[in-house]
Amino acid sequence: MQAIILSWEYPPRIVGQLSDYVKTLATQLVKNQTKTYVITYHDYLAGEYDEPEGVKTIRVTNPVRTHIGVLTWVLTLNQEVERAAANVYYSTDKQVDIIDVQDWHFTPAAVTLKKALGIPFIYSIESLEEHRSRGANSAFNMAIKSIEWLGMYEAERLLVKSDWMRNETIRIYKVPPEKVKIVPFQPSSMAKEVLENYRDVLEEDR
Amino acid sequence: MSRDLSVMMFSWEYPPRIIGGISPHIYYLSKSLARNGVKVYVITCDFPGAPAHEVVDGVEVYRIDSYKNPAPDFATWVYLMNVNMQKEAATIMRSLGGRIDIFHAHDWLVATAGIGLKHVFRKPFFATVHSTEIGRRNGIHSDYERMIHETEAWLTYEAWKVVCCSDYMVQHIKWAFGLPTDKLMMIPNGVNIEAYKKNEKEDLARFRKKYALPEEKIVLFVGRLVYEKGVHVLVNAAPKVLEKTNAKFIIVGNGYMKDQLLNIVNSTGLAHKVMFTGFVDDDTLRKLQRCADVSVVPSLFEPFGIVALEAMAARSPVVVSDTGGLSEIINHDVDGVKVYTGNPDSLAWGITRVLTNEQYANTIRTNAYQKILEKYNWERIGQQTKNLYENVLAEHSKSFWAQKAQ
Repeated sequence: MQAIILSWEYPPRIVGQLSDYVKTLATQLVKNQTKTYVITYHDYLAGEYDEPEGVKTIRVTNPVRTHIGVLTWVLTLNQEVERAAANVYYSTDKQVDIIDVQDWHFTPAAVTLKKALGIPFIYSIESLEEHRSRGANSAFNMAIKSIEWLGMYEAERLLVKSDWMRNETIRIYKVPPEKVKIVPFQPSSMAKEVLENYRDVLEEDR
Repeated sequence: MSRDLSVMMFSWEYPPRIIGGISPHIYYLSKSLARNGVKVYVITCDFPGAPAHEVVDGVEVYRIDSYKNPAPDFATWVYLMNVNMQKEAATIMRSLGGRIDIFHAHDWLVATAGIGLKHVFRKPFFATVHSTEIGRRNGIHSDYERMIHETEAWLTYEAWKVVCCSDYMVQHIKWAFGLPTDKLMMIPNGVNIEAYKKNEKEDLARFRKKYALPEEKIVLFVGRLVYEKGVHVLVNAAPKVLEKTNAKFIIVGNGYMKDQLLNIVNSTGLAHKVMFTGFVDDDTLRKLQRCADVSVVPSLFEPFGIVALEAMAARSPVVVSDTGGLSEIINHDVDGVKVYTGNPDSLAWGITRVLTNEQYANTIRTNAYQKILEKYNWERIGQQTKNLYENVLAEHSKSFWAQKAQ
């Protein structure tokens, strides 16, 4: 099994809780015999890096240095994520089984990689724009929601961390309930459950 | 290569969606490439009533859902639209088994879609830069403008070759983005000469009477009535021309300077000699261009100057200001007259030179028409573009990417 995780935060870049979660997940996946790549953002540590725990990390930076907001920043960064993922794909003889995209930021890249190279993806939800913006419906919020929606529509499966989030995802985005699976954040056991979901997706994909 | 060369072209406009000059450019270029044996896929934005997929003269046209929720601003809409465009293009590419040789993006409006696809499919990538933010705005004055400027720079960085439509734009882009010379290629814009050949024999005497007296020579201006087009220079040159010869000035187009221009005309007592037509339809415009004894392009800033080419195709002698793309279209005293930019005396001299010497006017008119046939002919432009594709594919075949793919 070879997986690529896309996440906009990963240590040493810590924005919220997601960073810690992704680090734990990637490390645990490696322990469970999964070759794991993390593609993430860093402003100046860009490049490839093999971590002591065996996680292969690729940090990309944004070629467009000036931005008017997080949305334009994300939408130009996705191309670099695609480039890094394609480099992994071609340098490993196209042996990428699955992509696990963390939150909305890099779902456009996950969608393109699926359509272009046939790699299925799982969308792991840490939080939703509806809650972050407390239901605000400006064009800016709507754009982020539309990206979340695209990710949910195109993903093979959604992973959430709680029963509450599962219900909210189904309620707000009208996702078919059977598409949303719960894997709580438990450092010791979650990797096995996540891997089960990866395997199920690959099984269904065949 | 056993099968035809194929290219996927990205453009935010394609007829019937027409916003600026890119739309006709893609239309004629793709048609001409198809006639030259290149399989072209155009990926563009949707338009009410236009089909999601159609074949236009051998060109496969796909119209994608162009993000119709309200967007915070134009640039953010562009990036959001590109998400959809990239997704659809990737789907089409995969359905074709990846059998497309080249990606070609036109302006920053489709930069992000093209750049991502280049890396995901590892194909050579071309960019045509029709215009730049730093040129359009005459400098970069805000983060918003800088973001677009940097997106343009990124597009040219990622492209294997950058195509511009004039030597002026080549120099401009070299300066704006610091590009190496060997990355830049000039392939001119074209003019659809067939549209002017049609009804060539038609007698326009009656049509002409609607605009000018038989003894009046027609001086024609076509363009937006805005400062950068220099129409005020022409209005100021009018009295000087009328001292030498009897003429009628016909000004086609609209713009914010119209009232100001009317004031100048009225206050100089020339209302009977200057006619403002506003917008006219294509047919009327072509007839006017064919009736014109001289066509004037007095622009202060002009990246290309397609209106000069149209006049030349209509066999009207042209007088242009010596600036931007116009400088290189016209060879002074051979196929047109060049005058000092923004100088009414110089412009009046140029117009008078054409109007008072019929033999001279005929010479430059004939040479100009010949130039259009040879240089600004879409057939030839398609051939040049195809050659460029073939050269780059040969270079690409020796690259790490191509060898890895085998």
